[in-house]
Amino acid sequence: MSDFSLLMTHGVFHLFAALITLCSVLVVMSKHPVKSAVFLVVDLFLLAGLYATLDSHFVAAIQVLVYAGAIVVLFLFVIMLLNLQPEQLRGLKFSAVEAGTLVISLVGFLITVVATFKGDQTGLGDGSLDPVAIEAAGGNTYVVAMKLLTNYIWPFELASVLILMAIVAAVVIAKKDKKKTSAPIS
Amino acid sequence: MVPVDFYFVLACLIFSLGLFGALFRRNLIMVLMSIELMLNAVNLVFVAAGRAIGNVDGQVMVLFVITVAACEAAVGLAMVIALFRKYGTVNTDILRLLRG
Amino acid sequence: MGLTADEFTIQFIATLVKFAIVAGLLLQIPPVMVWVERRVPAMMQRRKGPNRVGIFKWRIYGLMQSLADTIKLIFKEEVVPEGAQKAFYHLAPVFSVFPAFLIAMAIPYGPDIHAFGTTIPLSIIRVDVGFLFIFAVSSLAVYGVTIAGWASNNKYSLLGSLRASAQMISYEIPLGMSLIPIVLIYGTLDLNKIVEAQSHFWKWGVFLSPVSFLLFLIAMFAETNRAPFDLAEAEGELVAGFHTEYTSAKFAAFFLGEYVSMFVLSCLASTVFFGGWQVPFFSVQKLDDLTGFIGVSALIGHVTLMLKATFFMWLYIWVRWTIPRFRYDQLMSLGWKYMIPLGLVNVVVTAVVIAAFRFS
Repeated sequence: MSDFSLLMTHGVFHLFAALITLCSVLVVMSKHPVKSAVFLVVDLFLLAGLYATLDSHFVAAIQVLVYAGAIVVLFLFVIMLLNLQPEQLRGLKFSAVEAGTLVISLVGFLITVVATFKGDQTGLGDGSLDPVAIEAAGGNTYVVAMKLLTNYIWPFELASVLILMAIVAAVVIAKKDKKKTSAPIS
Repeated sequence: MVPVDFYFVLACLIFSLGLFGALFRRNLIMVLMSIELMLNAVNLVFVAAGRAIGNVDGQVMVLFVITVAACEAAVGLAMVIALFRKYGTVNTDILRLLRG
Repeated sequence: MGLTADEFTIQFIATLVKFAIVAGLLLQIPPVMVWVERRVPAMMQRRKGPNRVGIFKWRIYGLMQSLADTIKLIFKEEVVPEGAQKAFYHLAPVFSVFPAFLIAMAIPYGPDIHAFGTTIPLSIIRVDVGFLFIFAVSSLAVYGVTIAGWASNNKYSLLGSLRASAQMISYEIPLGMSLIPIVLIYGTLDLNKIVEAQSHFWKWGVFLSPVSFLLFLIAMFAETNRAPFDLAEAEGELVAGFHTEYTSAKFAAFFLGEYVSMFVLSCLASTVFFGGWQVPFFSVQKLDDLTGFIGVSALIGHVTLMLKATFFMWLYIWVRWTIPRFRYDQLMSLGWKYMIPLGLVNVVVTAVVIAAFRFS
């Protein structure tokens, strides 16, 4: 690997990382829920790009397809349906539990950072499944599909049951009570 | 290549931000969105780690996480709508029946 | 990657050139299509249509009308409605144009060129998950519509955008489902390989899986919000829907997005079901050897694909002026009650037939 391509991969990663962090901050801190949702889409799109740089094209495509294309649209719909107004952000006042959780997460984050830069760094591509090996085995999609439909066939089937349950549950929960309202949905 | 630890740090950062949002925001939909952010941090760890140790189980796991996230979003948003219909708000400062 | 420095340079330059050509091509589509969309129905209804505007004496059947319209549209005053969400109001056209252009990058516009000691593919980005890439990006097109309607601070816009986005999400499912049999038959997600597999005339997707083609055709009209599914715009009910409040260049941007996505879906339909750049009963790739010029095959293949896509573009217009608009509940019941079950049956039947062939 030449210095140039090393620089490129590092540059791409750091650019993506910076943008993802920025978008995540905006998701959390935007006053208006619609803005948060839009930044979430951008965030997910960038994450998909990061997956693509990790040679996981299938997951990247699914990420955009399902997350950005379906889940966040659902969020947007609900926000618009409820006509949510911008929220008054409270100041930095926390209850004891919240403050404790925050402190723990911050400490965890610091530990990860320190452990990362002190310990020996694991390079990517050390394993047996480098791009060349994947290509020889029939491409990323093929390899993932083989794994998904052989080793993980039971979880895969159970996931379909889970989705069915979620559909039924969502319909039952969100359904209007017929006794109270009789206004037609138009 | 970029060391896998960088990906872990990034994931950790996203996860912390998501956790912060889930605690800090008072809008139920915002809480749900922050949870999506946290799930995405987990996905990033799965993909990066799978790539580092050289198998695709991480990617398969991400597919399951995405499935669960979709179900969670659907049911969660349905609950938000039901709550809004009943109480007229999605503010967690007001919706605190369980808190006592 | 396994590229030498020279190869990298060649590929880089080739990508730039391809990008310029495709972007230039896509930007020409809306003006020409607007003209076609006024002339063709005029022909169908035995009237003249716009035929006056020309440069000096040359009228070229009124083709310059589009130029005049475009110039007028771009130099119009820009009005931002009171109470609009400024940032999103300005961003929404970008959201609607960007996915359409991104999909256009993944379409194989012709056979590979073998020149300068390397292979230049005639699609700008070549991914092994071509299909999924296209679906993933096209599912982002919903945001342009949704955000435009919401940011304009107008009831009709919001209603139109909600209609349009619900419709686009609903019809994405049959669209995706209609292509699963194709993936099963050809055994790949790579659009290039699918085109190469259709080298024989009777192996075209439309012959191997006619039901898929039918589903794809219907879903294609719904995805682009075109008649008979143009409920988002329904002039009589919604005052043009989500882009009511848009003026001048931003209004033009929505048109650009709509026509480019029409064109891209036409290209996709020709690629998947009508052999892409393959000429029936004739091997395009041999042309290079026959004529002795490199790139002849690419040119012929490209023209073939464009002709096929033109047919679909014309079909869009034909259908628009032939079939009346659907009612919204009819649209939804068609999508969810008929097309999705039919798509599922289609997938299962195709899978069973393929399995039967494989094990016999």
